[in-house]
Amino acid sequence: MNGETKRRILVVDDEINVCKSIRQAIESEEYEVETALSGEEALKKDAEKLYDLIITDLMMPGISGMDLLTSLKTVRPGVIVIIITGYPTIKTAVQSVKMGAFDYLPKPFTPNDLRSLVSRALKSAERKTEDSSLPPMPEDLFVMKGHTWVRDEGKHLVTVGILPEFLRSILSIAHLELQKENKSIFQGEVCARITDAEGHVHRVWSPVTGRVAQTNEKLKENLSFLKADPYGKGWLLRIESPDIEKDLESLSPLK
Amino acid sequence: MIMKRLMHIFLNLPLRMKFILSFLVVILFGGVLTLTLGTRLEHRTIFSLAQAKVRHDLASAWMVYNEKLSDIRDIIQLSSSQESIKDALQNNKKDVLLNYLSQVKNDFNLDVLNLTDAQGRILIRTSQPEISGDDQSGDSFVSRALRGETITATQIIPHEELMKEKGLAEQAYLKILPTPKAAPSPKEFEEDGMFLKAASPLIDGKGRILGILYGGILLNRNYEIVDRVKEIVFKGEKYKGKEIGTATIFQRDLRISTNVKKENGERAIGTRVSKEVNQAVLQKGKSWIHRAFVVNDWYISAYEPIKNIDAQIIGILYVGMLEKPYIDLRNKVMAKFAGMAILSVILLLVILFFITSSIIQPLQQMVNATKKIADGNLNHKVKINFQDEVGQLGHSFNQMTENLKKANEKLIQWGKTLEKRVEERTNELQEMQDSLIRSEKMASLGKMAAGVAHEINNPLTSILLNTHLMLEKVEKNSRLSENLNLIAEETSRCSEIVRGLLEFSRQNPPEKNFADVNEIINTTLGILENQVAFQNIKIIKKLSLNLPQIQLDINKMKQVFWNLMINAAEAMSEGGTLTIASRISENKKNIEIEFTDTGMGIPKEYINKLFDPFFTTKGGGTGLGLAVSYGIIEQHKGKIEVRSKEYKGSTFIISLPIS
Repeated sequence: MNGETKRRILVVDDEINVCKSIRQAIESEEYEVETALSGEEALKKDAEKLYDLIITDLMMPGISGMDLLTSLKTVRPGVIVIIITGYPTIKTAVQSVKMGAFDYLPKPFTPNDLRSLVSRALKSAERKTEDSSLPPMPEDLFVMKGHTWVRDEGKHLVTVGILPEFLRSILSIAHLELQKENKSIFQGEVCARITDAEGHVHRVWSPVTGRVAQTNEKLKENLSFLKADPYGKGWLLRIESPDIEKDLESLSPLK
Repeated sequence: MIMKRLMHIFLNLPLRMKFILSFLVVILFGGVLTLTLGTRLEHRTIFSLAQAKVRHDLASAWMVYNEKLSDIRDIIQLSSSQESIKDALQNNKKDVLLNYLSQVKNDFNLDVLNLTDAQGRILIRTSQPEISGDDQSGDSFVSRALRGETITATQIIPHEELMKEKGLAEQAYLKILPTPKAAPSPKEFEEDGMFLKAASPLIDGKGRILGILYGGILLNRNYEIVDRVKEIVFKGEKYKGKEIGTATIFQRDLRISTNVKKENGERAIGTRVSKEVNQAVLQKGKSWIHRAFVVNDWYISAYEPIKNIDAQIIGILYVGMLEKPYIDLRNKVMAKFAGMAILSVILLLVILFFITSSIIQPLQQMVNATKKIADGNLNHKVKINFQDEVGQLGHSFNQMTENLKKANEKLIQWGKTLEKRVEERTNELQEMQDSLIRSEKMASLGKMAAGVAHEINNPLTSILLNTHLMLEKVEKNSRLSENLNLIAEETSRCSEIVRGLLEFSRQNPPEKNFADVNEIINTTLGILENQVAFQNIKIIKKLSLNLPQIQLDINKMKQVFWNLMINAAEAMSEGGTLTIASRISENKKNIEIEFTDTGMGIPKEYINKLFDPFFTTKGGGTGLGLAVSYGIIEQHKGKIEVRSKEYKGSTFIISLPIS
């Protein structure tokens, strides 16, 4: 790839050291990385350069990460935003994704964590433009945007699966790891891990809080169901959720 | 002022005295009043009766008196109308006349019987025929008879005239005796006499007055009338040797004929009427009916004037009843009356005594009972004799005592309970206060921790990123690589610490989920077991197999167990035994988890501070572990307690509600 096809990434953090470290971690032949020390600066730079991906801290003086996300999404709905924060809560994570962020990464993180996410984010965007023929989505689902869907089965039981758009960015799935049965799990916590051919580990977040009632063992044997029948045989877990209504409130119902 | 004083004294008297005094006052007042009114009434009745009687008696006396007068008149008139006398007079037969008149005088007991001629000169003086010829025409009787009238009346005859008659001057003569209460008298004796006298003319066939016959009786020392009165009116009754009734004829104020007796038993002639009567009867001509002191005794008397022919008052007719019988009667009645009154008072007092006794005695008992009860003897009872108001009071009193006893017992019981409750409540309050202080400390600590976490995460990010970047560049398994890995690990640990701080600082509601407490214990233990700190420590698990799954924040609970196990290990740095137990509490409402070590124990003075943030006895600790744990257990509505004996070890007990 030549310099012109390089993807442009903007890192926004009010601490210059963090900016520098992140740049070093992801700067490569594929990515051109720039930094901004405030939300205002970020908006200015983006207006000029139209970045492919913006990684922003959440807590900043002036325009906060959430404000920046909203502004960017209003101007350019297609922009990919990854939120990083040193003050992580499951709630902010879920909320930022609901607002249109691609994903969320709590500080501190390793270069690999970040690279996996960046790679998945950019690829997802590529695929989106290339092939828009995703399987049709049933209407009774709630989604944790970009990650998982959830179907209310009644009696506090829900089925959870991976959204096709999450898998879109992963070229080939090498391994699937599911949370074990009877394990307790929280909304926004990892409920599955997918390792791709490149060795990147992608964390899949649970859309609800509860106890794992059942795992889809058949899926482990035939991973193709994940992409072929994401809302059917490709389901991941059945979770017994004591407070499902509250959980669903923070999710988006399907359009 | 005095009334007030008396009232005060009265009100402070014993009840019985009050009763008796009150009754006495009423009785005495009533008694005296009735006695006074009664005696007065009775007095009046008796005396008005007596007076009416004496008035009547006086009338009877007048009848006797007038009868006598009328007798004399009849004799004179009869004699004067005798033809034989007229003949003898016309024929001047003095012998015949004297003879006849003497006989009449003797027959009818006349003191005087004289005959005059037509000019009023005495022809015959029966008592002393030698003296005659004196002119009597000046006498009011004779002068009127000369005009043809027959006259009868009482008349006072002067001494000179008496002298002409035989023996009359002596009979009339009275020595005036000194009399108490009488008006003073200038005279020492009385020589005039008082007569019942009649005069009648002798008239011939042609209507010429031939002469005048006059006669009468001398009342002085003549007791015929008074004794008759006594006999007729009083029937001679006597009272204690004294005549009840008396009668008297007064010549002016002098007693000339009477049956009133002197001390010596003689008739009290020569004594005089009292000044009072003198005034009323002699001077004013009124009749006088009253009690009067007659000679030597009190009489209920009636006096009326005796008048002469010219209606001049010349004397008094008197009747009197001895007052004494009436007085005695009155006194007798009064005595009876008083006796009855005294008897009634005595009877009343006796009754009163018994009545007051029947009231006061139970009251006294009650007073004693009250004293006993006041002294604390609540078992004392009042004896009840009768079912009257006092008895009812006794019943009520006993009931009250009974209730008092119960209330007292209740109070004592309550006091005991209260003490216990106060103690419990004090402990609760103490706990609450401790908890509040802790919460406040935690809140301020939370703010700080949040700030610190945010600030530290940024440098940690840089360090972690750069370490990994460097790792990517150095040869694997090289010494540098090892060093860098160590940095990366420690950075991750820092990050965990920060996360812990954040957990603590957020205090957001726990993310509750169904979980098995034993599993959390096992998981936590699984990670810790292999750590160096646990190498000398024997771990005993006493986990109940039938614990229900409960809703809790698994991660937070893990953190709690982690903290407790780490603490235990650190308390047993020389080695020891950690016993972990889980069970359902006795009341089945909680799951209890116990961590018991055999370490150094916690000094007493630290026990209360143990859960305070930043309280630490370890050199390197943050002092947050137990504070965070406490907060988490509280968020689960559970309890965490510690029991410790120095040098023996400590036990932490977590209690979590099942529902």
